[in-house]
Amino acid sequence: MENNRNNGPEFELAVIRKIMEDSRHTVEYNGIHFIFWGVLVTFCLITNYFMILDGSADKYSGMLWAILMPLGAVADFVIGWKLGEKNKVSTFAGRLLGSLWLASGIAMFMFGFLGPISGAYKPVFISPVISTALGISYFASGSIQQLPWLRNLAFGWWAGAALMFFWPGKQTLLVFAVMMLFLQVIPGFIINRNRRKSPELKQA
Amino acid sequence: MKEFDYQQIDDVIHSRIRTAVMAVLVAVEEADFIFLKEKVNATDGNLSVHLKKLEDAGYVSVKKIFVNRKPVTRYRITAKGFKAFEKYIENLESIIKPKK
Repeated sequence: MENNRNNGPEFELAVIRKIMEDSRHTVEYNGIHFIFWGVLVTFCLITNYFMILDGSADKYSGMLWAILMPLGAVADFVIGWKLGEKNKVSTFAGRLLGSLWLASGIAMFMFGFLGPISGAYKPVFISPVISTALGISYFASGSIQQLPWLRNLAFGWWAGAALMFFWPGKQTLLVFAVMMLFLQVIPGFIINRNRRKSPELKQA
Repeated sequence: MKEFDYQQIDDVIHSRIRTAVMAVLVAVEEADFIFLKEKVNATDGNLSVHLKKLEDAGYVSVKKIFVNRKPVTRYRITAKGFKAFEKYIENLESIIKPKK
């Protein structure tokens, strides 16, 4: 039965192309990383803001970030590893995305810690610098996943970065926190909602 | 015009399910049995037989792992399989092209 191939090579090629195209669009992306980092960074930003208000920032804000960010990286690695095991499929695009966000994460650690520690720029410019880097990652990520709405969020990150570059001050922490919620946490939930709607993952 | 040589058609790939499996595995890097089953719309037994043929020909590699204590079998196309599939597509195209 399986070798009854009476449809001709044109039909066969068309079917092969269709299968390949459908498979390439398999959803293996997960918004959990967006949500996790969005919530963690928002918490740190707001805590840092209140530390500035009560005058304890000089003493404790560095510690806050130095402890929670590496812990977050370890936790995110474990989450990614566990989810990777459960994935029914792994694609080149998925591997590309993983590399992009890993490189982006390392760059953000350098921007957040090494930049101000070395004296290259003041800590108040950490948020706009990281926001610029996030814009690049969102633009590339949205392009790889063929999600124009995700790619367009990059413009939000860059607009926010411009705002924070021109009006530096403690308010940038709150601006960045709001951006994290609207440009990172909510998109994470949207990705997860779309993922649940994906036919391949309904039975997962 | 040179006539098409049917001997060139790869018998290992030339079956509806095996062609579909190869097409899926060329598009994704690695896929588990359940994913392949959904994609090619085959029964467990039927798909297993076809995957074994592809594995015996060295076109796919198999990895067995445990996820949440459940066994999961993952398949990946090999370099040999990739070349064979490429050749298979070229052969199909060569059948079509002279007609144009």
